[in-house]
Amino acid sequence: MGSIVLVARLVLADLRRHKAQAAMLLLAVTVATATMALGLSVRDVSEALYEQTRAATAGPDVVALSGDTGPAVASALASLADAPEVVAHHGPYRVVYADLTARGLSSNVVVHGFADKPGAVNRPLVTSGRWVRSGGTVLERGFATALGVGAGDRVTIAGRSYPVVGIAVTAATSVYPGAAQIGPGGGPTDYSGLAWMTRSDARKLASSRDLPVTMALDLKLRDPAATETFSDAHRDSAVRINFRSWQFTAQQDMGILKHSQPILVVGSYLISFLAITGVAALAAGRAAEQTRRAGLLKAVGAAPGLIATVLLTEYLALALAGDALGLVVARLTAPVIAGPTASRIGDVAGPTAATVATATVLAVAVAVLSTLRPTLRALRTATVTALTATAHQPRHRPWITALSALLPTPLLLGLRLTARRPGRAVLQACSTATTVIAIVALLTIHAQTERGYGLDGSAALPNLRGEHDRHLMLAVAILLVALAVVNTITFTWTTAMEARANMAIARTLGATPGQITAGLSTAQLLPSLPGAIVGVPLGTGLLSLFAARNAVDAPSSWLLGAALATLLATAAFTALPARLAARRPVAQALSAEG
Amino acid sequence: MNVSGAAVRACGLVKTHGQGQSRVRAVDEVDLEVPQGQMLAVMGPSGCGKSTLLHLLGGLERPTGGEVWVAGRRIDTMSERALARLRRRSVGFIFQAFHLVEELSAAENVELPALLAGRSRRQARRRASLLLERVGLAERARHLPSQLSGGQRQRVAVARALVNDPLMVLADEPTGNLDTAATLDVLRIFEELRSAGQTFVIVTHDERVAATADRLVSMRDGMFVDDTWLAGSHARGLGGLIGLEG
Repeated sequence: MGSIVLVARLVLADLRRHKAQAAMLLLAVTVATATMALGLSVRDVSEALYEQTRAATAGPDVVALSGDTGPAVASALASLADAPEVVAHHGPYRVVYADLTARGLSSNVVVHGFADKPGAVNRPLVTSGRWVRSGGTVLERGFATALGVGAGDRVTIAGRSYPVVGIAVTAATSVYPGAAQIGPGGGPTDYSGLAWMTRSDARKLASSRDLPVTMALDLKLRDPAATETFSDAHRDSAVRINFRSWQFTAQQDMGILKHSQPILVVGSYLISFLAITGVAALAAGRAAEQTRRAGLLKAVGAAPGLIATVLLTEYLALALAGDALGLVVARLTAPVIAGPTASRIGDVAGPTAATVATATVLAVAVAVLSTLRPTLRALRTATVTALTATAHQPRHRPWITALSALLPTPLLLGLRLTARRPGRAVLQACSTATTVIAIVALLTIHAQTERGYGLDGSAALPNLRGEHDRHLMLAVAILLVALAVVNTITFTWTTAMEARANMAIARTLGATPGQITAGLSTAQLLPSLPGAIVGVPLGTGLLSLFAARNAVDAPSSWLLGAALATLLATAAFTALPARLAARRPVAQALSAEG
Repeated sequence: MNVSGAAVRACGLVKTHGQGQSRVRAVDEVDLEVPQGQMLAVMGPSGCGKSTLLHLLGGLERPTGGEVWVAGRRIDTMSERALARLRRRSVGFIFQAFHLVEELSAAENVELPALLAGRSRRQARRRASLLLERVGLAERARHLPSQLSGGQRQRVAVARALVNDPLMVLADEPTGNLDTAATLDVLRIFEELRSAGQTFVIVTHDERVAATADRLVSMRDGMFVDDTWLAGSHARGLGGLIGLEG
């Protein structure tokens, strides 16, 4: 008990002394775990939303679809409805292929002809307004949201004006714009919204404009899981019937999220990497202090286990707090991320145990990887040595010193500062490469041209999947860039603090504050340069793993611009801490070192 | 103000630290003129303001009041950049704690001010070799500071202070961390430099070091309390002066 109190007291005292560092670790882990939890949850959340919509709308287990409408089709569908595996059915009903215009936006639409009173299977849930009545239409909620149409508005379907009497959701089709399960005549489908009309209105609509019509039948099976067996058993060689199982529809819902998972999961790895580099740099900057602290604890009789606990507990506690926060953030944002259309209803349960475990492993890994080295060093250092520990002495690098002597003063100082801490230079390079990877990904996603959801692929109704990918990538890129900025400022400040004696000496020897500032900035820019150069092909390569076959690369000028902009931003973000460090009084710095 | 002939001159120099009740006048209305070629020793107890005075004369700190002139130019109103340029050309610093760059060899430490002053690497290297030879460390040019004794480190610092042929050398307790033999080595070098006309301002509380100067100023509570000319003192044997000869 006494040990726990001691550990808690020491950890709290240290947290109070290093609030900024604690906040940085907490924030970085929160962002990383939230992103990872979201990435791992999108499939579960999408499935959960489908399941709940299916339950609320008596969703069919199988939808049988035929591209034809003749008596043979009617007979085939009727025999399906009478099949022994079927416990209930709805239909057959007409599916009319038309175009719809509302608020100046035009789209393909499939109109389902339904009864005034929905049956036992496929009962769309009206979320606003009322169910279909003669002369009126009900729009599927995802479609209505994309159009910006609500109950009471008017829409034009195949040239005829209809009042929108209600908005509803269904689990019989996949989310907007996947309402057309087969195309006219059983051919290929196009992006389409869904509308319902009464059976007679649908028939009139089809006949008045000679519109393509297909037939559909919703089936409820005795064993909802046995959809594949049912489909295989009822394939008719005479009449072509397509079967759409509820599992298939649920899977189709994920189509809109095809890129979301890799964006979030890979993004979370990159965010975690940046978190580790930033926290490792801070921890390395405190290594001497940690070693002295360990020496003090050893001197008063603490066992190595207790010392390791004290040193690691702070980071682990912060990482676990960040993990918990990240999971909460993921839970709150999951419905928006996993349901970019309004086609599904329901609440989202918390992350699964596997997701929680994975996010927690990530958080612990960030804490341990960033602090293990200084902790081990502190444990291994002899007590007396630890009590007088000073910052790690840089190595003599004659060839870098000789090379830098040929350069102007800022480069001379910058190169020598970079050489003092090659490990940190590598971290800075990696941090820059990660930033460039994120920007390359963002630019490449923006360079893609996709068919809009409007009529004939018009972008007046934007491609929701593309928009969703861009929004997610933008969010991930912003998080990555923000962490990289924090890292750059941290690296610059830590470099400046460790080299303050040398910089003060340089000042006494005639270096101007401007030269010191430029030197400190150069020390970050030198490793950033290869990082930015490597980041471009790395980003392109990483994207190619997930890109569609017809994906286009971002223009080279964009990528070059991204690398240059990253370097310029690095220069700008290093300037402030470098300038602050360079303006510290020389005499004070020398007295502190003397 | 006429400053001709003076390497450094201070007039009504004031430096305060802290605020309110904790305000301390580290340097209090000090007037000082050090002619070129003079070796001035400033003595006094710890905390009397000696080091602060040295920092003010070298432009490392800005005075709260008064004026400082170096080589005929007023420096207390100069920009930081101009002060840096002045230090490059006109001032060499020597510190008690040596303040060498630990990851650079002795030669590389000595070269550093020359490179900062814009000299070519070859010129800097040649000048550093010459000065290291002059302070008796030619054989140790490639050694890191950690591989040198205290006295040797201070001799490297002396060579570094001289690399740009400064108008004056400001030394803050240059023998404070040295044993007797190393002190003698450093003072021998100072004596040679003084004979060659190098201006020195040495802050010390070692009377043996002060005894080698042309002039001795005593400080207490930020003020000069005594100003003594020691003409001819250096004519005596250095070892005898500092009590190292029998």
